[in-house]
Amino acid sequence: MEYFIYSLSLLVIYVGLAQLMHVQFGLLGIPNFGVVGFWGAGMYLTGVFNVSLNMPILLSILAATAIVSLVAWALGRMILDRSGQAILCATLAFSSIIGVLVISEKWLTNGVRGLGTIRYPFASSDFAELGFAIFILSVVIAIFYVSIRLRDSRLGRVLLSIRDNEELAASLGKDTSGTKRLIFALTCGVMAFLGGLSAPLKQFLVPYLLSPTVTFTVWIALVLGGKGHSFGSIVGVVLTVGMFDILIETYLPLPPEYAATIQNLKLFFYGFLLVAVIMFRPAGFLGAGRMGAKPKHATSTTKQEAAS
Amino acid sequence: MRLTATSLSKAYHGHVVVDIPNVSFGTHGLEGLIGPNGAGKSTLMGLLTRRIAPTSGEIALENEAGTHELNALQSHDVARIGLIKTNQRIQGFDGLSIRDNLALSATSSDREGLSSIFDRTRDAEDIEARVAALLEQFSFADPDGSAKSGGEKKLLDILRCLVAQPTMLLMDEPTAGLPDDITQSVMELVRKKVDAGEMSVVIVEHDLPMIWKYCDYVHFLSEGQMLFEGTPDDVRENRVVAEKYMGV
Repeated sequence: MEYFIYSLSLLVIYVGLAQLMHVQFGLLGIPNFGVVGFWGAGMYLTGVFNVSLNMPILLSILAATAIVSLVAWALGRMILDRSGQAILCATLAFSSIIGVLVISEKWLTNGVRGLGTIRYPFASSDFAELGFAIFILSVVIAIFYVSIRLRDSRLGRVLLSIRDNEELAASLGKDTSGTKRLIFALTCGVMAFLGGLSAPLKQFLVPYLLSPTVTFTVWIALVLGGKGHSFGSIVGVVLTVGMFDILIETYLPLPPEYAATIQNLKLFFYGFLLVAVIMFRPAGFLGAGRMGAKPKHATSTTKQEAAS
Repeated sequence: MRLTATSLSKAYHGHVVVDIPNVSFGTHGLEGLIGPNGAGKSTLMGLLTRRIAPTSGEIALENEAGTHELNALQSHDVARIGLIKTNQRIQGFDGLSIRDNLALSATSSDREGLSSIFDRTRDAEDIEARVAALLEQFSFADPDGSAKSGGEKKLLDILRCLVAQPTMLLMDEPTAGLPDDITQSVMELVRKKVDAGEMSVVIVEHDLPMIWKYCDYVHFLSEGQMLFEGTPDDVRENRVVAEKYMGV
């Protein structure tokens, strides 16, 4: 049961990360390949504040979120007005830098020996784990609520216009650079918040946790589910993390000698799914969703999909 | 409304495309800018709206609010003080419906902040009314879908600029790719807005009959230089224009 709650909490965190990428990439067109950097920085900073400075865990998470938001804002200032490829490389590099810092700055992070133990808030209670899982779930539900509202809002319309044609949006008076920076800083901050929430789940932080696999898993999930669809992230994460990391690896009664094979099969399966989706449903399982924002006069989704 | 450029030049790799000591637009109502291919008309339009950075020179916009030096401004700031340009090449936001394209352009940026996420209604009534009025005047196959044909996209590009209520509108070859009757309705609407004193307009165009028909004043640009300007009749009868452009 405990492990089940842990897996489910992690799954929900992945859904949250993928949903934030839906905002960054699906709505605004920023190819952030440094997801693990922002998430990991949030997680490690939370660990440092909590373990080394004895700050309460929730306060540590908030402090980590604030710091990562500021860092993301500064990073965004440097890279967001460059081309998509440049942003992709720069964010990937950022996450690598975080990975290296976590190993090299031993005085802060304890390096490869690891940082721990990070406890749940209200750890003495019998329901600490379950309560925390519910808290994570409510945070991710809030992320969904805001991102769905965002998509239908005036600001969301500006994001879509920047994604589609930035120069044109600017020529109509939209502050494209400022908007990108703001949304990037905020969403990266929320990634860090999810990282902070992951810290008590992991309890003991080691650099290995910050492998690029996190980024790739989130991206694969997003592309599978549908980057432009409000619920693409759920479908994508359930199909990948849910199916393999939870269902097959943990609950399928397989003989132990298959353990290594399953890992490789997982990558094969991800790749297969990805190729199949890109070939047959380029917009993802759920498609692109409603085009732009909600028209007042109801038009059918299928008609709009056909048009786009 | 007066848009002036002084000592304006633009060179690509040493090749001078635009070199204008002094020019001003916006005081004659509906103005035309004509010239042979490669004269630098589109480059000049890009320079005036800060989409292209000049090699040298100053650009300033005077309106009721005062004089704005455009050199220090970014593209979106230029649009916010009321100077907007339509595009020669077809451009658009494919992810937005035609209605949303227009509403986006009509909405001022201070209403597009983070707080708009939690607003119950998306567009204010006056915005919706402005959009609806345009959509009534110009018909699209599906206003709640995306613009389909090249003609629809071109028309949408012009309407997107008009609905923003600029004080000065630059139109870069508005008629290219538009059916004649639509061109005419667009120009009638522009003419009406100019006459009502709502905006000044500069039109870059190869369709000379249209220039003679609608413009109050015409500038002639050739090889990056302003060679002549005057009323349509003056320009039509000018020997330089005839030689350089009309091949007479």
